[in-house]
Amino acid sequence: MNKNQKILFLFSLLAILGIIIYWFMQGAEIFTKTKVLIDQTSELDKMLGVKNEVWVDKFILGLDYSAVAIVIILILTIILNNLLKNKQKES
Amino acid sequence: MKIIQISFFLLAFSLTTFAQGFKVETSGEKTFNFTDKGKRNQASFFSTTPLEDITGLTNDINGKVSFNVNDIKSLKGELSVSTASIKTGIDLRDEHLRDADWLDAAKYPNIKFTITEVKDVKRLADNRLQIKFSGDFTLKGVTKKITGEATLTYLVESEQTKQRAPGDLLGVQAKFKVNLFDFGVKNKVIGQKVAEVVEVSVNMVGSSAI
Repeated sequence: MNKNQKILFLFSLLAILGIIIYWFMQGAEIFTKTKVLIDQTSELDKMLGVKNEVWVDKFILGLDYSAVAIVIILILTIILNNLLKNKQKES
Repeated sequence: MKIIQISFFLLAFSLTTFAQGFKVETSGEKTFNFTDKGKRNQASFFSTTPLEDITGLTNDINGKVSFNVNDIKSLKGELSVSTASIKTGIDLRDEHLRDADWLDAAKYPNIKFTITEVKDVKRLADNRLQIKFSGDFTLKGVTKKITGEATLTYLVESEQTKQRAPGDLLGVQAKFKVNLFDFGVKNKVIGQKVAEVVEVSVNMVGSSAI
């Protein structure tokens, strides 16, 4: 394993770890969401005994998109690793 | 003569003892319209399964209820929500929800609820009542009797209530459970992710002046 291959594996590992940490920080949802419910209950709503929630556009990364991104990173890593291996043989 | 006197007494006794309603500065028959141009009224369903929790919500509620302010058991009315307006937070899932296999929004554009009976009235405050209700719930063309609980809050028109709508306001927070299987909703793809019984919550404010 040459220096470039080591750097490639390190970057891939960091990218995968970054995705997992980001997914976990976003609530570890199974499915990616594009909207979230925000509470907008006013004082008058409270007097009337009702609550008011609205959908607000927000991207929440789910396990589905995370898994796809990780698979893409792994495929790219394998391809680039083979290219770097061949270059080493040629040199 | 004595029979008439006793009958009159019994009638007056039953009216004062059993008629339960709001103790507010208004009386008589009132009709409340729940069509809100500001789209702040909402009906939602909550489904919980081991795989995930789903909340579906719509702000497209229409309908009216009428009742005697002093006798909430006289309440009658019909409410409906637009099937296509239900959002779950995932666009693709919303499309599935509207599909023929699921709610079939194209064929059944509205979900309706007709209130037929109010019982077990409990006064929480002069302007707030807790009730149990039952009625005919129509989903995907199938009508079944459903029972639930609600809290009703009556606010007489004031400068503060005018911020929301003109006229007296009726706040309704209601909950009831719906067994989707009873209404022919049994999609195999989504069905595994959605509970068979979902809890429906309604938070809405009606105005007597619209």
